[in-house]
Amino acid sequence: MHFISRLMENDAQPKPSKILPALRIFVCILCILLCALAKNAFFVVAVIAVELLRLALQTPNMIRQVLKPVLTAVFFTALFLLPAVFLGSPRTMSTVTLKVFESVLVLSMMNATMTWKEVTDAFRALHAPQIFVFVLDMAVRFLVILGRYSNAILEAVSLRSVGKTNWKTSQTGGILGTTFLKSQQMSQETSEAMACRCFDGEYKSYASRRFCTLDLIYLLLIPALIALFFYSEWMMK
Amino acid sequence: MHIPDNYLSPQTCAVMAAAMVPAWIVSVKKVKKEIPKEKLPLMGVAAAFSFISMMFNIPIPGGTTGHAVGGTLIALLLGPYAACISVSVALLLQALIFGDGGVLSFGANCFNMAFVLPFVGYAVATFISSRQKKKGKHILGAAVGSYLGINAAALCAAIEFGIQPMLFRDTAGKAMYCPYGLNISLPAMLIGHLTLFGLAEVVFTVGVLLFVQKTSPNLRTDQHRSETTQTPLPLRILLGALVVLTPLGLLAEGTAWGEWGENEIAAAGAGFTPSGMTSGLHYGALLPDYSVAGLPEWFGYMLSAVIGVAALIIIFKLISSAHRSPVAES
Repeated sequence: MHFISRLMENDAQPKPSKILPALRIFVCILCILLCALAKNAFFVVAVIAVELLRLALQTPNMIRQVLKPVLTAVFFTALFLLPAVFLGSPRTMSTVTLKVFESVLVLSMMNATMTWKEVTDAFRALHAPQIFVFVLDMAVRFLVILGRYSNAILEAVSLRSVGKTNWKTSQTGGILGTTFLKSQQMSQETSEAMACRCFDGEYKSYASRRFCTLDLIYLLLIPALIALFFYSEWMMK
Repeated sequence: MHIPDNYLSPQTCAVMAAAMVPAWIVSVKKVKKEIPKEKLPLMGVAAAFSFISMMFNIPIPGGTTGHAVGGTLIALLLGPYAACISVSVALLLQALIFGDGGVLSFGANCFNMAFVLPFVGYAVATFISSRQKKKGKHILGAAVGSYLGINAAALCAAIEFGIQPMLFRDTAGKAMYCPYGLNISLPAMLIGHLTLFGLAEVVFTVGVLLFVQKTSPNLRTDQHRSETTQTPLPLRILLGALVVLTPLGLLAEGTAWGEWGENEIAAAGAGFTPSGMTSGLHYGALLPDYSVAGLPEWFGYMLSAVIGVAALIIIFKLISSAHRSPVAES
C-alpha cells in the first residue's frame, strides 16, 4: 500500500524536468558505473558532494523520501561488512559502504525527481525494446488503478463491518482475489480498446520534445564525468 | 580554537560535556517555542555559514593560524539559542567527518564556540544597540559583540588548556595532556584573537549582517511572522561564493595553536609527547583535515566545504519536517 500511495502521489503531481529524461537516466547509470569502477575514494566523494548539494536544495519531504532508502542500504551494507573490520581490512568496509551510499543516493535522487511517465519515456528514447517499455508502462499504470480499486474495496468492507476484525487474516484473501479478477477484466478491456485505436505495437512518446540548449549543457556532463574519472585514477596511481 | 582529542583530560571533557547538556536542552526548548517550523532550515544555512567561516584560516606571525566562527552573527539573526544549536551541529560534523576538533572534546568545543561565543556576543551587541541613539547602532553592537564574543571563547579555551598541566601529571612529573600552563596558553590564545582573528570575526559578522540587511531584511527572527521562509537567493549566492573561495583558507601555512598532531607537539616547543596523547583516543575521520588523500589540497578542501554545507542544510531541513510549528500549535 505504501508503494502504491507513492505511485499515486507521483502520478498526481508530475513535475516535468527541463532536461530530457533519457539523458538524465544515462548520466545516472554512467555515474553508478564509474563509481563501481573507481579504485579510489576521490570520484565517489566528488559525486556524493554534488548529489548532496542537489539534495540540500529540495524540500524537507523529498529529502526524507530520498534519504530513507539510502540510509537503509548504508546501514545493512555496513552491517554485512562489519566482519571485514575484525578480519583486518577496515578499508573494505568504508570503500564499499561509500560506493553503496553514492549509488543508492544517485538512484534515489533520480527516482524522486522523475515521474513514472518520464521514466518510460526515457526508456523508449534509449531504444529499449518496445515490449519492455510496454510492460513497464502498463505495470505502473495498473499498479495505480488496481491500488485505488483495492483501497476502495477495503474501505467499503470496513464500513460495512461491526466490531473488531483482523483484516490481515480474514479479509485480505477476498480483497486480493476480487482485485485479481478485476485486473483480468480490465486487461481484456484495455486490449480491446487498443485494438479499436489501431495499436500496432509501436510505442510512441507524444511528450517527447526537441533537444534544447539546456540538454546540450547537461550532455557535456558525460565527457566531464569521464574526464574526472580518468583524472582521479591517474592522480591516485 | 578546535581542541583536538587528548589535549584535555577525559575528566575535563566529561565536565565540559555535562556543562553543555543544560545549555542544549534549554536551547532546543527555546527554539521549538520561538522559531517557526518554516524558518528552521535557515538555521542550517546559518550553521553552513559558520562552518565555512571556520575554513578560512588566517595566519599570524609565529606560524600559527586562526579563523572566525560566526556565532554572534547567527545569534543576531536567529537568536542565541538557535546559534547554540547551529554551531553545535556544525562542530559535530567537523569532528565526525573532517576530524577538526576532537570527539571527546566535543563538549568543550561546544562550550567555547557554541555557548560562550554567541551568548556573550549577543548580550554585548543587544546592550550596545539598546544604549546607542545613533543610526547604525546595530552594526556597532554587532562589531563589538562579535569581537568580545570570540575573545571570551578564546579565553575559555586557553583556561581549559592551561589547567591541564596543573591537574594531570604522570609519575615523572610530566604533563599527561596539554603541556602548556596558563602562563603560555593565555597569551598564545589571546594575542591572536585580540588582534587578527577577532578582526576577522568582526569583518565576517558585520559584512554578512550588512549584506543580509540590504538583500533580505525580513530574515531576522524578530520579524518571524513575515513571509520569508525560504533562504533568500542572494544569501544562497553568497554561500556558494564562499564555498568556491574556501581554498583561500589554505594559504595560511602552519597549524593553529593547540591543534598540533601527536607527531607535531614535540617540535612545537613542548620537547616531548605527553603520555595521554600517545595512549588516548585516535579517531579516524572520513575526510581528515578537509582533504582526500592523494588529491590536490585545494580540491579536497572545496569538496569538504560542499559536503559540509549540504549536510548541514539537509540536517536542519529534516529537523524542520519533524518539528511542529509554534504558529500552527497556537
